[in-house]
Amino acid sequence: MMRKFLLCFSFAILAAHANTARAAVTGEIVGQGGQKFPIAVSPLKILSAVSSDVARLSTGIADAMIHDLELSGWFKVLDRGAYIEDAQKTGITLGAFDCKDWSAIGAEGLVKGGFSVQGEDITVELRLFDVYQNKERVGKRYTGRVRDFRRIAHKFVDEIINQFTGIPGVFNTRIAYVSNSGGRFKEIYVSHLDGSEKFQVTDNHTINLSPSWSSDGRSILYSSFKERNQTLYLFELFSGKEVKFTPRGSGKYLSGKLSPDGQSVVATLESAGNSNLYLLDRSGNVIRRLTEAAGIEVSPSWSPDGKQIIFVSDRSGSPQLYIFDLSDGKTRRLTYNGNYNTSPEWSPKGDRIVYTGRVGSRFAIFSISVDGGEARKLTSESADSEDPTWSPDGRFIAFASNRAGRYHLYVMQASGENQRRLTGSGGDDTKPSWSPRLD
Amino acid sequence: MQLRKIFKLVSEDTMKFQSEIAASLMLIGLAIVGQACAPASTSKPTSSLPPPAADSSRSAGAGEGQRGPTKDSTVGKSSLDDLKTGKAPVTPPSSPLKDVFFGFDRSDLSADARSVLRANADWLKTNPAVRVEIEGHCDERGTSEYNLALGAKRAQAAREYLATLGVASQRLSTTSYGEEIPLCKEANESCWKQNRRARFVITPTRPAS
Repeated sequence: MMRKFLLCFSFAILAAHANTARAAVTGEIVGQGGQKFPIAVSPLKILSAVSSDVARLSTGIADAMIHDLELSGWFKVLDRGAYIEDAQKTGITLGAFDCKDWSAIGAEGLVKGGFSVQGEDITVELRLFDVYQNKERVGKRYTGRVRDFRRIAHKFVDEIINQFTGIPGVFNTRIAYVSNSGGRFKEIYVSHLDGSEKFQVTDNHTINLSPSWSSDGRSILYSSFKERNQTLYLFELFSGKEVKFTPRGSGKYLSGKLSPDGQSVVATLESAGNSNLYLLDRSGNVIRRLTEAAGIEVSPSWSPDGKQIIFVSDRSGSPQLYIFDLSDGKTRRLTYNGNYNTSPEWSPKGDRIVYTGRVGSRFAIFSISVDGGEARKLTSESADSEDPTWSPDGRFIAFASNRAGRYHLYVMQASGENQRRLTGSGGDDTKPSWSPRLD
Repeated sequence: MQLRKIFKLVSEDTMKFQSEIAASLMLIGLAIVGQACAPASTSKPTSSLPPPAADSSRSAGAGEGQRGPTKDSTVGKSSLDDLKTGKAPVTPPSSPLKDVFFGFDRSDLSADARSVLRANADWLKTNPAVRVEIEGHCDERGTSEYNLALGAKRAQAAREYLATLGVASQRLSTTSYGEEIPLCKEANESCWKQNRRARFVITPTRPAS
């Protein structure tokens, strides 16, 4: 059964005003003394509203921003219980509140804002202040539906991170993943990083696997057993339209990924026990066969320029990573350490590959330069961590881990620092795929 | 949907219901194959049960006509069917075709596996009308896509060995469920080794495509 993505993605940013002091610094975000940057996020001021829900929104928008700031690993968000001023009794512009109320509790940055609700619509004004310099760094006004208030918070955190690093954050994005939380079946879901706006993509009571995004964020490619034989489906989130990829003969498509330009798909076709890579068009017609090996060739992932493909092959006797060059058809081996290296994904910057490797009897996340060399182990082998996926800015990695018993999704910095759990459904959440930046 | 409900009832409940259900099934004129009334795969086979109403001719397509020496040549349930109906993907002890097992990240056939496959081949040769889908399965370790490909290799290894033993390969199809439909769900080797298997499911006879 197909479902339609009923959520509206579009937001009008009415005005980006008061954005006078652009951040001069880029790079690492550090507070004084090289620690995480201490920031306070005030509950929002209720500017005008006739809804009974305003108290929930006042803290809800702040909470959504706090979640993102902490997830980034760059900020220390000061505890709300320590705040001195009453957000409802002070202003939200420079001069309308006392910076000393914030410097006194150790804040170097401050997020303040206000909102008004009219029926189903909300207008939110948010500002980032530098408490020490008594300056406004950025201010934005957003309008949208009340139920989408978290998305406004995510967008402003992306702006905060832009102010500090020169590159917007990635919190207005989504993760597609597989979950059996609804029972014994494996269905595909899409949600924000904070679990909000969860949307069930498949509901066919079989097994659905390997979701991945189109580069425009409008479609999900996944494999499914819903029509008995496993094959690929390309599902359009907004229209609910779906294209089935029908393999020739008795072959089966095990997985696939849309190319960066969205025009083609690299897919694994299994036939007579051998799995090989094929280039397909968006309708599933074969354009070109890429590999001719007897054995396993799976889990392809595109380089960001669309010229190369990283994949897993067991041609050496154990699963290892190889890079296929589409221009000359040549393949080179990337990994030599360990006897089980799988599920690679090419970084958006193009410089590194993240993958799952076996360490003893456990599985961990590694990253390695595309030029080879030593791989970095990013997760502990005290539990299993698998199926890494890059954030669209390449600064974070999401993955699945059973460190808390069942499999849940986690996010960490690309260095492996600040590992935080994202999901906590009653089932196993696996195979995350991070969306591109969304509107 | 009604049919599924009835199946569920059969799997969950007692023989007392079975005759009633069987009767009602006949009443509503459903062309149903014997396994609807077979005991659930999770329950123990009981010798006092009458053999399933194995009537392969009812589900037979063209070319059917051979009957094997046993009454067990019923159409089986695939592991995907078992998942859908909430049953464990167990090969019943009464099945003439036994599972074969593999080492971690291996698809080669051990001496034990070959021995089981020889017995399976013997039965298939005396039941030449039977068609089989060979399912490849893996344990939960490692990544899903690799395990789907590994399961396919396992199923193919079994298929090729049966073919060398004289079973016509067009009677044998393969599929892989990777690590997705485990038989045993605990995280230990005694469980994992049960999941690294090829399973043989008798499929409805149909003309070769």
